Amino acid sequence: MNSTVMQEIDNTYNDPARRAELVVGGNDFATLTDKVCSLVERPQPPREWYIALAVSSSLTLVMFAMIGYLILTGVGVWGLNIPVAWGWAIVNFVFWVGIGHAGTLISAILFLFRQKWRTSINRFAEAMTIFAVCCAGIFPGIHVGRVWVTYWLAPYPNQMQMWPNFRSPLLWDVFAVSTYAIVSVMFWYVGMIPDLATLRDRAKTKTRKIFYGLAALGWRGSHRHWHRHECAYLILAALATPLVLSVHSVVSFDFAVAQLPGWHSTIFPPYFVAGAIFSGFAMVITLIVPARKFFGLKEIVTLRHLENMCKIILLTGSIVGYSYAIEFFIAWYGGNPNETFAFINRAFGPYAWAYWTMISCNVIAPQVFWFKKFRTTPWMMLIVAIFVNIGMWFERFVIVVTSLSRDYLPSSWGYYSPTWVDILTFAGSFGLFFTLFLFFLRFLPMIAMAEVKTVMPQASLLYGKHRGVGDYHGDIPHAHEPKYWGEKT
Amino acid sequence: MPSIEKEPKWPESQGRTYWRSLRELAASSEYRQYVERAFPPHAAEKLDGPSRREFLRVIAASLALAGATGCRWPKETIVPYGKRPDNRIPGVPAHFATAMELGGVASGLLVTSYDGRPIKIEGNPSHPINQGAASAIEQASVLELYDPDRSRRPSQRDKDQTTDRSWDEFATYAKERMTAWRAQKGKGVYVLSEASSSPSLSDMRQCWLEALPETKWLEYEPVSNDNEREGTRLATGTPLLAHPKLDRAEIILSLEADPLGRHPAALKLARDFIVGRNPDGESVNRLYAVESYYTTTGAMADHRLIMPSGSIELFALYICAELFHKQNLEIPENLQPIKVALEPFLDHKIYPKYIPIIAKELTSHKGRSVILAGPQQSEIVHALVYLMNWLLDSIGKTITYTEAPDPKRATHLDAIRSLKEDMNAGIVQALIILGGNPAYDSPVDLNLPGELANLEHTIHLSLYENETSQRCRWRLPRAHFLESWGDARAYDGTICAIQPLIAPLYEGKSAIELLSSMLEEKPQSGYEIVRRVMKIQMGEANFEARWQTFLHDGILSDSRYNEITPDVTSAALLDVIANTSNEPIPFGKDKLELVFVPDSKIYDGRFSNNGWLQELPDYHTKLTWDNAAMISPALAEELSVRNGEMILLRYEDRRELEIAAYIMPGQAQYSIMLPLGYGRTAAGRAGNGVGFNTYQLRTTSAMNCRTGLYIEPLGYAYPLAMTQDHHFIDLVGMRERERRIGELIREADLDEYKKNPDFLHQEEAHHTVHPLWKEQEYPNHKWGMAIDLNSCIGCNACVAACQAENNIPVVGKKQVKNGREMHWIRIDRYFKGDANEPEIAHQPVACVQCENAPCEQVCPVAATTHDHEGLNAMVYNRCIGTRYCSNNCPYKVRRFNFFNYQKDLQDMEKMQYNPDVTVRSRGVMEKCTYCTQRIEAVKIAAKNDGRAIADGEIIPACAQTCPTKAIVFGDLNNKQSRAAQLHAKSRSYFMLGELNIKPRTAYLAKIRNPNPELAVEEDV
Repeated sequence: MNSTVMQEIDNTYNDPARRAELVVGGNDFATLTDKVCSLVERPQPPREWYIALAVSSSLTLVMFAMIGYLILTGVGVWGLNIPVAWGWAIVNFVFWVGIGHAGTLISAILFLFRQKWRTSINRFAEAMTIFAVCCAGIFPGIHVGRVWVTYWLAPYPNQMQMWPNFRSPLLWDVFAVSTYAIVSVMFWYVGMIPDLATLRDRAKTKTRKIFYGLAALGWRGSHRHWHRHECAYLILAALATPLVLSVHSVVSFDFAVAQLPGWHSTIFPPYFVAGAIFSGFAMVITLIVPARKFFGLKEIVTLRHLENMCKIILLTGSIVGYSYAIEFFIAWYGGNPNETFAFINRAFGPYAWAYWTMISCNVIAPQVFWFKKFRTTPWMMLIVAIFVNIGMWFERFVIVVTSLSRDYLPSSWGYYSPTWVDILTFAGSFGLFFTLFLFFLRFLPMIAMAEVKTVMPQASLLYGKHRGVGDYHGDIPHAHEPKYWGEKT
Repeated sequence: MPSIEKEPKWPESQGRTYWRSLRELAASSEYRQYVERAFPPHAAEKLDGPSRREFLRVIAASLALAGATGCRWPKETIVPYGKRPDNRIPGVPAHFATAMELGGVASGLLVTSYDGRPIKIEGNPSHPINQGAASAIEQASVLELYDPDRSRRPSQRDKDQTTDRSWDEFATYAKERMTAWRAQKGKGVYVLSEASSSPSLSDMRQCWLEALPETKWLEYEPVSNDNEREGTRLATGTPLLAHPKLDRAEIILSLEADPLGRHPAALKLARDFIVGRNPDGESVNRLYAVESYYTTTGAMADHRLIMPSGSIELFALYICAELFHKQNLEIPENLQPIKVALEPFLDHKIYPKYIPIIAKELTSHKGRSVILAGPQQSEIVHALVYLMNWLLDSIGKTITYTEAPDPKRATHLDAIRSLKEDMNAGIVQALIILGGNPAYDSPVDLNLPGELANLEHTIHLSLYENETSQRCRWRLPRAHFLESWGDARAYDGTICAIQPLIAPLYEGKSAIELLSSMLEEKPQSGYEIVRRVMKIQMGEANFEARWQTFLHDGILSDSRYNEITPDVTSAALLDVIANTSNEPIPFGKDKLELVFVPDSKIYDGRFSNNGWLQELPDYHTKLTWDNAAMISPALAEELSVRNGEMILLRYEDRRELEIAAYIMPGQAQYSIMLPLGYGRTAAGRAGNGVGFNTYQLRTTSAMNCRTGLYIEPLGYAYPLAMTQDHHFIDLVGMRERERRIGELIREADLDEYKKNPDFLHQEEAHHTVHPLWKEQEYPNHKWGMAIDLNSCIGCNACVAACQAENNIPVVGKKQVKNGREMHWIRIDRYFKGDANEPEIAHQPVACVQCENAPCEQVCPVAATTHDHEGLNAMVYNRCIGTRYCSNNCPYKVRRFNFFNYQKDLQDMEKMQYNPDVTVRSRGVMEKCTYCTQRIEAVKIAAKNDGRAIADGEIIPACAQTCPTKAIVFGDLNNKQSRAAQLHAKSRSYFMLGELNIKPRTAYLAKIRNPNPELAVEEDV
């Protein structure tokens, strides 16, 4: 990799007199374009990329083999039983959907809130979202007993004159997740068009020219194009914003609408959304910390970006922790003995190990982000982020499995343990996720160049010939401010 | 599946074909070919059709005489029980009465035959013991019929070489042998038969002994009630059979007797017991159970006194002494010496507080109390029980006695022992074994299997090629009772008819047919033998009509044993009492007691290959596919043995056995119970290698119980598959379970209930739930069920009935262990109180058909919905298997097909399926439907007749077979229906009704009747 080893440049200061810059290292538009495009334009990817792809694609194959085995044999190959009729498949589904939250949050909500720092990470996060939703989408599809009739979930006219049951949260899931997936892909793609055009323009080989040429949809960068593009982007952002909240709310309805103690709870929608954002940002950190180092993007994805994400993790982690506490409070305050038991059982029953893993990872670990040292040291935040990923998986495990394992009648209480098929399928879903991600890194611009340029000082109205281009995002400096980093005022 | 519709090519006409014997038919080569074609591993050839004329003649004649029988048309006529169609209506099942013999006792069955295939077994309503009910074992025997592992054809072993033979080849061999044996008058010929009360077999035995007078005819059963015979012989000089009349008994003292569970007449005894226990009736009986391990009876007891089995003898002496000395009973002159001899036993060293109180109750209810003793108890106990019943004036009132059948026979133990002695002495030249499996279940110290293999002439007639067959020279397939003619006597002596529902699937013959074929030049068929013997029983006069009635009813009325009441002869008894010490046998962790008990499901091991029974959860342990050593929680703690841990049981004589431990609350502290019947090596694919062979510790000196055992924990776990507590429950769970039981299973003491019959509903929190929308109304029928917990004894009959009726698959140990058993109805068992002296409560749970069903709302494809009569219907075709319904079911009664459980079934096994019930494939959820097929069948019939459905006309399988009628089904809109009336009772409640799911099944609270005097004692 042709990345230069650089010192981290600290742009995390909060000096009211001086706006912190979002791209450091004295880059201008040309160097930015070069840095981002060069990663895609290398004739051969580095050896490490091949090794990573070999591992991840093997895991993907393992997952498809497991799915094949599952479909040929029956869902009995998993550790499911009665009472625990949902196991890892649903846990993984919720886990991946949750991860898929950060991308749209970053691209849509932060966009609407004019959080300019989002530009460096949004492409990355959106890609992660889409791949996570791909992984999530697999599980509900394969977890049903008769995969070959899953299409009955769709409301289509048929000779049976049967509609699906619109009262079932599972059906709501179908619509919520598919809508989310479609909007996320569109948002990602629309945002990428100018960058694809850049790659097309720089393309040297015929294949690349055709590929990027087609993908860029004839983008010429005219003012009218920019105008249309930004309108579309804004509309999609407005559409995606409620989806960020709705998807995980609907996923939480799978549980909240059931009458099982431990599931039946009105706190679930906000708590799930907070948890989803929490896990999504943790996954972004998990991916971006190594990536910015490996691909030499420290100047574009700066410490300030990382610190902002850490702050969001701290906030959402605290919301999640608060929800855990409130659940216990309500279980006691509500006076429903079954509910009370569900929570006592979580914390002190046979799955106490899972519960305390969850608490340690989700509530305790992020608290270190109160300290700036942890928010600004990449390897530290990487460790915390990995803990959060683990913790959030366990959160879903705790909710799904512990509640099911002990419900109303003690005679039917059970215990669930995964089988090797469960484990390999889950591992394989990571394989799929990383395989898609590696292809993304290889073939698509991992930084939204056009958007980042708008937040660079060079995009300022007062700065050079690029003035006015993309000024929608542009940071118009006040008179007393430096126009670019280093300018003396 | 091979065609079962094809008609056989009938052999050349031999006159009145339809009267020809089954045996002759079976012998004919055409018939054999047909059998091979119809049920072959490799059916290839195409059969020539019978000539039309011939076919019609046979069919017409058969119909004229008897109506339809089966697809394989056994040639003799049997009479359908209930419906006698003028002509056969395809698809309409017929019912036939028959009987099954187990351990020499016949139970009366009513078999549903669908297009010639017996598919379901219920109790014969006319039968004095069954009265419409059937035990789990009886019901599961239909699966045994279709077992592909059954012995299929005769074979002969020579050294290690086994060759398939035909019956003709056997006949040649038998002829040659018989000539030789006749010459020596049968000297050296031994017949070892399993216990049988069959008059026909008895007759054939007579014929045999006439032909070969020196033959030794022995009878062996590993599980026998010989101690009662010998005990009553000790007390009266005559071996007797006790017939308790529990409906008349107000105070019952059970000395490890299990009248409600393992007793041969348990169905009747349980029914009678519950009749005497109606909390809304005049009086409620009180049951004291004294036992070392949990029996079904003990679980129903008002007071359960736990002690090692070996101490019960002393306990009986204490009670007896108390009765003789303290209770003001009139002691006749001839018993005065016994009174004197009992004096040392006035110093009670076990349960001293209980003994005077129990004795007082027995006396104050003189003539209305009864004492029973179990088969594991010694002769002395049985003798004392007779003595005490006699003294309490119970005989003839709450218990009657008849002379034991075949009074002259040696005890089973003596029989097998003498056989072994003669084998050792080299006297045994030939051994014919009729049924049974002595190589597996004989006392281990006899080493019978080893000797057996060395005999020159051994013939084993058996349903399976089992451990004994493997060691015999000739292995002959035995016909199943559903495919052969026979007769046998019920527990009360009533002669029952055994009629074939289907021609033998393999080449089986019954015992009487085998004996006849060996004895007679022109062998008789089973049919001929039974008819001949019954003619002797019934007399020539009007025989044909009486025979028809006999077959139709399945029983011969007025053929009970005669009651006798012999006087107590004191001399022998006196001797025994004088020689008994007043000191309790010391038990300790190094000196444990071992008690052998027939398994609650597979009995002595003969039903090992029956998947339904293997998967049936044990009454109390809920264990499937295994047996385990029952050890008490106290002992487990003392030796730090964990549940499911392997332990080594070792006798002082160094015999040992490795077995898994099951910590059983309520087990006597220093007593270990071992269920028999497992660890088979030649049972078949289902039964091989399942569990532990506890016969390895069973010696001639310890057939029932023995002390001098110690155990060693081996430190590693053995996977036990239970249907409840799949995983052992931690402290948090145990506390919560304890808290919930009171809500789930409502109970009260009788006094409390009498004072306050509305006790349930006063305690309930009064919060009214308002529906969110207009609720569905059910103007026509509103099906509902009531389950009386006071009547449920937890016998498993309903579980077996449901399995047979609804084509419920067997999933195997691994799946059960994983929590994937498929039973639509389960019997939840909860322990209450102290682990060492708990109370047990049973609760059958199936789908309660909630009106606001939580399962329906969450199904994304609407595969489970309500019908207009309020049934929560499950549309298998529509189900995609999300399992969300199960998650949302608070009762967890939904069952999921995690795999295709039908895939590996052979065509033969599939013949058992009920054609009225869909066979579910994998990926589909299923659950109880209140037997919707039965509801529909009655609705259609009522509609055709243009009449209303009467109450009690629709009976789901579980309710049909419940011996105590604890389950009642009916239309809740009909206020006169029994179900509606039970719903209206003050004892009725809805389990989890507070969830506003509106269940249709109501439970009726259990009412216990503890002795108030003892209740005070216990509180202190």
